[in-house]
Amino acid sequence: MLNRKRRTALSAPKATHDYTPGEVVAAVEFVKRTRAELRTLRKVRVWKDKLHIIDVNKDYFEVRGLGYPDADVVPVLKQINTAFNPDTIHNPVDLDYKEFDTGRRHPWAEDRVM
Amino acid sequence: MIQTNGTSTKAPSMNEATPKDPFNNNCYGTIVDSGYKLISLPVLDVTDFNERIIRGYEEGWGERDLPADLSVARSLIPAGTASLRDFSNIAPEIPEYIPENCTGCMDCVTECPDTAILGKVLSESEWSKKMQTIPEGDREMFSKQWSKTKKYYDAGKKKLGDGGMFNIIIDPSKCKGCAECVTVCDDDALKMIPKTDQVMIDSRKSHRYFKNIGPSDNKYINDNLLIDMMLKEETHIYTGGAGSCAGCGEGTALRMMCAATGSKYGDQWGLVAATGCNTVYTSTYPYNPYLVPWTNSLFENAPADAIGVRMRWDQMGWHDKPIWCIGGDGAMFDIGFQALSRLFASGMNVKVFVLDTQVYSNTGGQASTSTYTGQNTKMSVHGKAVGGKQERRKEIAQIAIMHPRTYVAQTTCAHVNHFYKSVLGALEFDGPALVVCYTTCQPEHGVADNMAGEQARLAVDSRAFPILIYDPRKGDKVKERLSLVGNPAVKDDWFVNPKTKEPVTFIDFARSEGRFAKHFDKDGNPSETLERAKQDRLENWHLLQELAGLR
Repeated sequence: MLNRKRRTALSAPKATHDYTPGEVVAAVEFVKRTRAELRTLRKVRVWKDKLHIIDVNKDYFEVRGLGYPDADVVPVLKQINTAFNPDTIHNPVDLDYKEFDTGRRHPWAEDRVM
Repeated sequence: MIQTNGTSTKAPSMNEATPKDPFNNNCYGTIVDSGYKLISLPVLDVTDFNERIIRGYEEGWGERDLPADLSVARSLIPAGTASLRDFSNIAPEIPEYIPENCTGCMDCVTECPDTAILGKVLSESEWSKKMQTIPEGDREMFSKQWSKTKKYYDAGKKKLGDGGMFNIIIDPSKCKGCAECVTVCDDDALKMIPKTDQVMIDSRKSHRYFKNIGPSDNKYINDNLLIDMMLKEETHIYTGGAGSCAGCGEGTALRMMCAATGSKYGDQWGLVAATGCNTVYTSTYPYNPYLVPWTNSLFENAPADAIGVRMRWDQMGWHDKPIWCIGGDGAMFDIGFQALSRLFASGMNVKVFVLDTQVYSNTGGQASTSTYTGQNTKMSVHGKAVGGKQERRKEIAQIAIMHPRTYVAQTTCAHVNHFYKSVLGALEFDGPALVVCYTTCQPEHGVADNMAGEQARLAVDSRAFPILIYDPRKGDKVKERLSLVGNPAVKDDWFVNPKTKEPVTFIDFARSEGRFAKHFDKDGNPSETLERAKQDRLENWHLLQELAGLR
């Protein structure tokens, strides 16, 4: 089986954003830049106080000051098609960070009209 | 013939370097060069086909200027013509190999849908000699791409006295830039880089030198380590150059099935294919990636066609040559189901391989009986009144198990050992066999090009697609014959993701794919239909647990 444990050694983020409480629009605008400045997105890691948006080359953007306990993390995760459960995203967990996939696309069937 | 300043000269063969292909990347042979695969049939002149018709298509004038002659009318395509196809201009990026990080795991080589990433291992002493044959100006560039892995170098030095030098190379003429190889690499030994002129020159040269230096040294290949089989030329029965989408899950499945069969039977076996995506991208005229005989009849009758071929081969005394009958879920679950059941009931020695994308991928994405509840497809369009497919998924593996003495496996390419054991078990079984393989269809599932392996693994983790092997030779009871080994948390309802500490259910699988996106409201809550789909998958899992004696 393809391994589950990744020996991911991330270096420095390609870009950072310092989240200010109440300023989620700015965080979403920052995240939109990933489309042009990162490659195909692969994973999102969310700590209590920061998140990483990681591409296929393991280059990443970092949002500081915004973590899984915060309500404002939801629109940021949605912006990049993160596969997370909104009912449990804010729950505390005995891990350094939570990790989610982000490879969803629009299927061909979406716009079909019979 | 080409005209040069009024004189006529013979053009280089399509299997040689040409001005358009100066490093001869588009040529027969995967690990090492080989000639055209010639046959002695009066109805097919392989050399003429490759030199005239393939040339016409590669140079861009084929469809306009080739005459409608007998070669075209017969719809015959020689073996492996896809080797001559050039895909080097379809993607903006290509993988770069980082040898110092490589462990020689072979995941990248195994999971590539296009036979575009290749491995080789040579003894250090042999490697040193071979490097001297590389032109001096390129020697450093090429030799730096070899790694000293623990698996081949350290272990080889200890056991054999000579470490194995390991190389991964990208064939730039076949790579479609999907990044599946980068995604499955756990060791940061691959990354995507832009195709600059210099990158492409180095890549083309490296691929050429890789082929020139000969095959891998077999003493470093452990036959019990199934994932290493693609180090051998005879396993590359499915060449690069097929017309499948970038990252196609089916391409990987067919390659791996061909590799496993090739590892045991070389090219002494055949394929009968049901119409579907697989027949389109493996016979987009004039390109054929198979190096074994292949035929396509209709959507509905591939198993019946395979029965006929099997009978004729048996009459000819070819009992020991396997026949694989391949098709998608549309062909095998639906339109050809009656013929498939008849094949199992016949007891004949035909192996069936189903590329299960849960949708008619080729004809525009219609629902099949394999489609999951809630899936948005043509014929089950998600709207206000009805949210996608309302029926449950049919389980062809369970149906096949109830046929007399039939070997059945359900697997994915992400579970490499399970996949190879399933295919090799089917081949060893003296009778009908079914291998159902979960295959990601990027455009129909709504996932990124690099996600085939990841989504296949998630399908298993979430009980959407449990893997299994049912071997009638294992005992008298169903629970002795049926193994669910390979599924995570095999005795539990759901597997708990260690990275979130949350159970992985069908709804989590659905969140990750565009085909189910309309089932989530603006707050991310799943629809009632999706809750039913989750319950359906749990009930299917419970049934399998019960049959396997785990419940």
